[in-house]
Amino acid sequence: MKSVRSLVVLATLCCIGLPALAQQAPPPAGEPGWAKGRPKTDVAMQMAPIPVFPIPTAPDKLPTSKFKLPPGFKVETWASGVLDARGLREGAKGNVFVSSLFVANRVYVIPEQGNHQPKVIIDKMPMATGIELYNGSLYVATNTKIMRYDNVEDRLDNLGEPKVLYDKLPGGNDHSWKYLRIHDNKLYFAIGAPCNICDPGPYAKIYRMSLDGTNIETIASGVRNTVGFDFDPKTGDLWFTDNGRDWFSEELPNDELNHVTKPGQEHFGFPFCHQGSIPDPEFGWGKSCDEYVKPAALLGPHAASLGMTFYRGKMFPAKYQGAMFIARHGPWNRTRKYADISVAWPDGKGGARFEPFMTGFVENNSYLGRPVDFLVLRDGSMLVSDDHAGAIYRISYGQ
Amino acid sequence: MTRWAAGLVFCAVVVALALMAVSPRVGGQQNAPAAPVVPAVGSGPKAIAAAPAATPSALTATSSYAQRFAALCAACHGTNGRMETPLTPVLAGQPSLYVITQLFLFREGRRSNEAMTAVAKTMTDDDLRGFSELIGTLPPVPPPPPATPPDPIRMASGRALAEQHKCVFCHGAGLGGGQQVPLIGGQHEEYLQASLRGFHSGSRPGYTQAMTAAVSQIPSEDLDTLAYYAARLRGPAEALTGQ
Repeated sequence: MKSVRSLVVLATLCCIGLPALAQQAPPPAGEPGWAKGRPKTDVAMQMAPIPVFPIPTAPDKLPTSKFKLPPGFKVETWASGVLDARGLREGAKGNVFVSSLFVANRVYVIPEQGNHQPKVIIDKMPMATGIELYNGSLYVATNTKIMRYDNVEDRLDNLGEPKVLYDKLPGGNDHSWKYLRIHDNKLYFAIGAPCNICDPGPYAKIYRMSLDGTNIETIASGVRNTVGFDFDPKTGDLWFTDNGRDWFSEELPNDELNHVTKPGQEHFGFPFCHQGSIPDPEFGWGKSCDEYVKPAALLGPHAASLGMTFYRGKMFPAKYQGAMFIARHGPWNRTRKYADISVAWPDGKGGARFEPFMTGFVENNSYLGRPVDFLVLRDGSMLVSDDHAGAIYRISYGQ
Repeated sequence: MTRWAAGLVFCAVVVALALMAVSPRVGGQQNAPAAPVVPAVGSGPKAIAAAPAATPSALTATSSYAQRFAALCAACHGTNGRMETPLTPVLAGQPSLYVITQLFLFREGRRSNEAMTAVAKTMTDDDLRGFSELIGTLPPVPPPPPATPPDPIRMASGRALAEQHKCVFCHGAGLGGGQQVPLIGGQHEEYLQASLRGFHSGSRPGYTQAMTAAVSQIPSEDLDTLAYYAARLRGPAEALTGQ
């Protein structure tokens, strides 16, 4: 009888999902998660993720003039001195919100009008990375909790205390920071794998919750680390970038662009299968890549594909309207560096076509800048954040 | 220890005063030219008095920071970046990226140390860059020969702990550091001990969470053994052989 009861409890916990499980199964301590699977060669032993430089690049040293775009497009520096600039979102009253990751511990606001000086509105909050604006409220997700600041654009001098919507995120370091979207009154977020490669337990999933923090549901499984996703304005489908595992080889596996067609029912392969075609050398035994949803497009080896947005503006040529812009932040886990803004188009058959859009972030195998996230402004121009240089660029067409 | 602390406060005052003298552009523009070096007056430590006067136009950026290092940092940290003061870390051999992350943490008020906070608070972004680049050029200086030979048993267990707790994963086989990771082989034992205990208790913030996570499960007696071991390494080769 007792065991039946515990089974019921267990089943209930499983249905509730993440909150209880995540707390019961912390990742093992010791070896840093990113180092799992690292070969013992000299070159590999010298490679590690590098946090952003603590000083933003001076305005006259920014790589803006080195960027290359398709004909008719131009790019300018929109804001500089924005240390660790990551996520970009905008409120209805024309304020651009900028999040940060490891270094700044801040959220900034930059009014669209004016001289684009960043103003710190949240300070001393580690991993204040996931942000979203909705109905006048600023949603902020760290690696441990999700909060809401109401009426934020009228209270920029003092946001006040947030309402905590959810405080049972598992925390930790690896892939624990957040990217947020609100769609049809649901808040979407992911919990990345707590490692480079491991059995992720309840991690490695995209979830959604009601805006009051209840009703958590799984949307997609087998997702190693997505920090960029958006909804196709035509179909309402969720598309997401996913960062492939490290230490496999210089050229493999690719990051993925994925398309969710059956929310809650699909598994995208991690940790068993990478890029839809490569069984993991450790976790892939007894599995077939055919058991998992194939990526819509491959985004390059260790590309660190971050922010993603569907272009909903009207300024860019018709070709780009409805296309996905993808920030390839560039690899740490590869000796040859690359980074760019790419663009992808759904091909109508479940896949996507993909090509580079803005290049020039790398010189002499070193990063001059690294793109992170996008924001399409009301005039149709598009902002791009760069955490490496601590800047925000504006891309426009034909003016 | 008390005398030592008094010395540190003295250093802080001297350094802060000297910095105010040489850097009038507190919070100034990023690309302003380097401030002129003004030799400190009075009975300050030798290194300060020894800083030669020079006109700004004759100085390249690096040599300007070399002058300023001699004036501001050398009194406590040594002209070559190593002073045998237990809690004053060895700067010689530290990677510039590590140095700038720590200056940044001091300036932001996240890492706290009276002397360093006073110094860093007055630094511009260009100063952080200039000092860290200069310090990054200081070659490593091994510790002086020990008065008593290291305890071989403690060294062996320190080496085993460094393997077990994956210190070498980031700090390298010789604990030599690189990029944002500091050189800890040959660092002062007391400083290492205080740092490790600080990461363990949460009082010492890192630039990332790496150290906090790495030491969270390590008992404090093992942290002390690690500090003992790392401090007594005199070069990368020793770490490998465990001698």
